Amino acid sequence: MKELVEYIARSLVNDPTEVHVAEVRGGATVHLELQVAKEDMGRVIGKNGRVANAIRALLEVAAAQEGKRFTLDIVEPR
Amino acid sequence: MQEQPRTVLEVIAPTVDEAVAKGLAQLGLPLEAVEVEILDRGGRGIFGLLGHRDARVRLVVKAPPEPPAAEEAPAQPEPTPAPAAQRRSEGSRRWRGGGRGGRLAKPAAPAPERDQPAQQPAAITEEDRPLRIARETVAELLEKMGIEAQVSAQYGEAERGRRPPILVDISGKDLSILIGRRAERLNALQFITRLIVGKELGRNVSVVVDVEHYRQRRERQLQQMARRLADQAARTGRKVSMEPMPANERRVVHIALRDDPRVITESVGREPRRKVVIIPVK
Repeated sequence: MKELVEYIARSLVNDPTEVHVAEVRGGATVHLELQVAKEDMGRVIGKNGRVANAIRALLEVAAAQEGKRFTLDIVEPR
Repeated sequence: MQEQPRTVLEVIAPTVDEAVAKGLAQLGLPLEAVEVEILDRGGRGIFGLLGHRDARVRLVVKAPPEPPAAEEAPAQPEPTPAPAAQRRSEGSRRWRGGGRGGRLAKPAAPAPERDQPAQQPAAITEEDRPLRIARETVAELLEKMGIEAQVSAQYGEAERGRRPPILVDISGKDLSILIGRRAERLNALQFITRLIVGKELGRNVSVVVDVEHYRQRRERQLQQMARRLADQAARTGRKVSMEPMPANERRVVHIALRDDPRVITESVGREPRRKVVIIPVK
């Protein structure tokens, strides 16, 4: 699931080197945290969160294959 | 395998014959120039439309034309457009299709001929770049989603003054998980694919991603439903609201009823509950 988010994010941003995905597996739920450069936030979120929601829809498929649930947060670099 | 010329094409169509015809048209080659492998004959399931499966064929472009007829007694006169013999006399190797295992399988070392590529249909010398990027993007996404499937890409019909859309078709077993409620997942896959391909090419592209011809079936179903509800609206003189559906499906309904003088159509409400209303004309 991490690879899926990484692939999509790296393909959409202007600065792929700033894409980092953290994956924390806690029992039945996989928590994903996507970090991208500040200027690229809009590219992975989209208007009304459309891109983020599309990423989530694809994650649902990946999660279902593993029988897991997931959360996805998108954060700016600290 | 980077620049390997493409010599194989997979085509899906309602029947084997149509699939072959479509593939040949795309390659710009006569039937004699390819070997046809039937991957799936398709067929009508026991429930008629419901169980319908499209046929799938693979066209393998044959190695260059056979040696001149002189060597073997010709079984029957070959109606090939440019006889092999003539071609041969023009200078050793005009046709370097590059089929694996064919007579000229090796990259036919030096001997570059200046005027040769122009004669080849583009489809077999190199897959079109946008098509390749679209196909690879979808394949990559599916792989990372843990889905096993085959992906093919081709151009659809262009609308007036537009570039033709790229149609990416996914086929395989048990892919309904890819569609989701109201095609939500399929539309997400299409949206992400369009963004990635658009970014890669540096321009907007129109990409349609389909799974096992779901969109095609759904389109037919929507058209039938639209006509039935238009009849109802016209008969009763009352508005008919359809179920909420995504923009591309509403568009199918609007277009299906565009030329029906008895009704007009309108989309009302907000996404994702936006729906088509069919209104009778007094």
